[in-house]
Formats: sequence, structure tokens, C-alpha cells
Amino acid sequence: MSASAFSGSVAVAGVGMRQYKRAQAPMPERGVLVRAIVDACEDAGFDPADVDGFVSYGDDHNEPVRLMSDLGTKDLCWSSMVWGGGGGGIAGAFGAAAAAIVTGQAKAVVVFRALVQSDSGRLSGAVMAHHMNDHLLGAGLISPAQPCALRAQRMFEHHGVPLAAARELVRASYYHGARNPNAVSYGKELDLDAYDQARWIAEPFRLFDCSRENDGAGALLLVSSERARDLCKPPVYLLGVAQGAGKGWGDLLENDDHYASAGFASVARRLWQQTGLTPADIDVAQLYENFSAQGIASLIDHGFCSYENVAEFVRFENLIAPTGGLPINTAGGNFAEGFIHGIGMAVESVRQLRGESANPMPGARTCLLAGGPGAPTVSSAVFGTERP
Amino acid sequence: MDNSSLPRHTIGADGPYWSSLVAGRPELPRCEACGRWHWPAVFRCGECGSWDQRWHAATLQGAVFSWTRTWHPFAGSEGIGVPYVSLIVSLPVHGGLRLLGILKGEEDGLCIGARVYGEVAETAFGEDRIPSLRWSLQE
Repeated sequence: MSASAFSGSVAVAGVGMRQYKRAQAPMPERGVLVRAIVDACEDAGFDPADVDGFVSYGDDHNEPVRLMSDLGTKDLCWSSMVWGGGGGGIAGAFGAAAAAIVTGQAKAVVVFRALVQSDSGRLSGAVMAHHMNDHLLGAGLISPAQPCALRAQRMFEHHGVPLAAARELVRASYYHGARNPNAVSYGKELDLDAYDQARWIAEPFRLFDCSRENDGAGALLLVSSERARDLCKPPVYLLGVAQGAGKGWGDLLENDDHYASAGFASVARRLWQQTGLTPADIDVAQLYENFSAQGIASLIDHGFCSYENVAEFVRFENLIAPTGGLPINTAGGNFAEGFIHGIGMAVESVRQLRGESANPMPGARTCLLAGGPGAPTVSSAVFGTERP
Repeated sequence: MDNSSLPRHTIGADGPYWSSLVAGRPELPRCEACGRWHWPAVFRCGECGSWDQRWHAATLQGAVFSWTRTWHPFAGSEGIGVPYVSLIVSLPVHGGLRLLGILKGEEDGLCIGARVYGEVAETAFGEDRIPSLRWSLQE
């Protein structure tokens, strides 16, 4: 299968990331975001004033027009947001940026997400506020952990996915985080007894099945692939991206057809069609894990494994760099690196393909970025070191 | 009934659901043209195009589709009190549509597929009292 004409025509030229412990950012949210955007521009050797487009997701509060004075923006040509309160839109944000560049509506677009608790409150509360209604509240479903727990319970109890797979996935994220100096869990591998004995949050989730929350911001600068070749760092090409929801999936009061899935069936199908790639072609994956079970469901949805062979695939040894078959979350992911609504996973996709990761996968040519699983709108993207 | 228990969403497609719940006789919507049960409620049937959606008395008998027992005291859950079990219940009489609610009483035998019956109740969420369903495991 051949890739679409779109594939590889836009590239990431620069990345910037500032992460802090929750409620410990040194500046208010916009200041941290501007810092990350300037970092991304410096990484690329690109004047921040020439950035002319911005895309975010997950109800980010920083309207791009308000960034112009700090960045010296000459001409704001594109500002858009992927719908949805969760992290489902993260990869879709790259699709919007690429659409702007390919159609000539903008030339240099930053994808960003910023989160500083003193400005925007707890992320879990904001996500739930987006999706909350009295149907959910009346059933005591108050936090994102609970609807995800309902899906997880169905996956474990009805579809027979072994609980041990969740532990393997979490352990792999911590293995990478322990080796990443920028990770919250640097130097700390997962204590398996602590994992097993941790307090319940919402069954089947215990504490370490849940992602963290951090203050910070991440930014990625996208330009045309031609332009990227003239900048400082090797271009990381956007090979494909898909967002949305298939019929029978969405904001359906827990009435989704394939309820235990992560909602990627239609998105993954389009992603593979668009790129001409298959799961076997993916060298490394940044797998948004709000919760452990949703990370597993995401792997199944994308076709890396099935309910039947999930235990063979989701093994610690198979998920770690550089020896595993599919290293995941090589900076530590949302569990162990930190969680700024997943933007760190996009940054790590680029760093990994440049050979800049703390847990490098030598020779890696493709990286999957799978967005927030279980969200009503989900999205995925594939990045690569070469144009098709 | 005091104001605090009045439903807050009586103007959406699911408005009649909230009104029926407060009245103690829950109803669910079905497309008059093609017979499909819709949940969440719709204004227009996306399958056949009909705008004729009618509400019918609900039979609150079904099977547990999934469940979670919440232990963390999320802000707002104080009035419920942890631990508590939230359920998704599939209703065969209504085309398998799924309603939510909280498990009441005996928890032995709780599993996916367990048969349950429902009743109307209120759930405390902070200062609010939300009309909702309580499900009990059948003997």
C-alpha cells in the first residue's frame, strides 16, 4: 500500500518543553508557555516572531492571539483547537497544523499545550467539567478515572485481558522514566510490591495505574519539509495523522459499541491506510496512558496485539528500549515522565527519532503517537525520519 | 418536592427523561418511525431521519454491563460516601441500551452479567441532589 501525497510534506523542526511539579511552576501559565515556544524556536534556529499559526487541544486556555506580544508575532494566520476535553485530540492537533501548512494558510505552526494549576486548576477536574453531566454524576461518576475504570473492568472481566498486562505496561513506563533525568520518576523504578499493594482509586485501578498531573508546557514547531531541511535539527516528518470517532463511538453515556476499547478502530484504520504502514513497521510508540488499561486497549485498537495474544505482547521486556520489540513511552510517559496533558509524549516522539531520547532506540525510523484513549474524540499520528 | 431536587436539564433531547425520573416513572425514547431505542436521546433519528421520538415507560430490569467500586473520595462524593459501586446496566427490553446508577444493598454476586432491577432515587453531589437510579442484585 502506498502513502498519500500528504505523507511527509510537513515536518517538526523544533521542540520545547518545560515541566515542573504540580503547583510549582515559576511563572503563570502563559509565561511558561511562551518559554516553551521560544525553546522550540531556538531548537530549530527559527525566529519566534515568524511563527504564524498555533494549534492546541483539550480545552487549553491560552488563546493564540494573546501570545503575540510576547513572541513578537508579525502576522497570526491560523489558530485552531481540536475539540474535546481530554487528551484525545493531541495527535489531531498535528493534523490541523499540517492542514494549515499544506494549504498555504500558514507557514510555521506551533502545536502546544500548557497547564499550570494555579491558573487552570486540576486537569482531572477540567476534563470532567467538559464531559460531566447529571447522568454521570447521578451514578457517582465524578472523575475521569471512573469511566475509564468501567471500560477497564469490562476489558479484564469480560474480554479476559489479564490484569498482569497492566502491571507490565506501567513497569515499562517507569523503567524509562527512571533513566530520564527530566522525568518526575528519575532514578525510581516501579516498586512492584508498592504497585500491587497501592490503595484503590476506582476498581480495577490502584494508585499507580493512574497518570500524574504536572505544571508546564510543551511546544512543537511545524513547517514544510522543504523549509525544515534548512533549519538546525534533522526534520522529523509527519507521515500520517487521523482523528475522530467511528459510528457507535463518542459521547454516548457509556453506550459505545466496542465499550472496552480505546475508541481508535476507525482512526487506526485511516492512519494505516494513509501511511501505507502496518503495526509491524512501527519502531517505537508513545502511548498516551491516562490509565494503565487504556494504554493496553490502545495497543489492541492499533493492531499491535489482540485480546487473544495481549499477554505475549504486553510484556515488560517487549516494551523497553533498546531491546524490546515495541518500546513504549521512552521518556517515561504520563505515568513516570510527567503529565502535561500528554504533550511530553509528542516531544519524545521527535526526540526519539532524532536520537536525543534518554532511552534511545538506535536506528528507529518510525514512531507512533497514540492520543488520549477512551476519549470521545481520539487521534493518532506517525512520525518518521524519512519522507516516503 | 423542593427546588433542590428539580432536574437541571429539562430542555435537552433528554428533558423528558429527567421529568419522568422526578415523577418516579422513568421513561425512555424510541423512534416512532423505525422502532429504534435511542440513548442518549436524540431530536432526530440518524438512522431513518424521523423527528418523531416518543417516550415510553422504562422497564428497569437488566444485566450488569460493567461496574467499578470507587474508593478514592473524589470531591463531590461526600454525600454518597466511599466505597460505592457504580454500574452500567444493559436493558434488553429497550434494545440493550445502557443506563447508569449506583448499586444498593447486597454486593455479593456482583459481576458482569449479574441480573439487577432498578428504582428511582436521588444522588447527593455537593449541595445538589440529582435524580438518578439505584440498582439491586436479584436474588
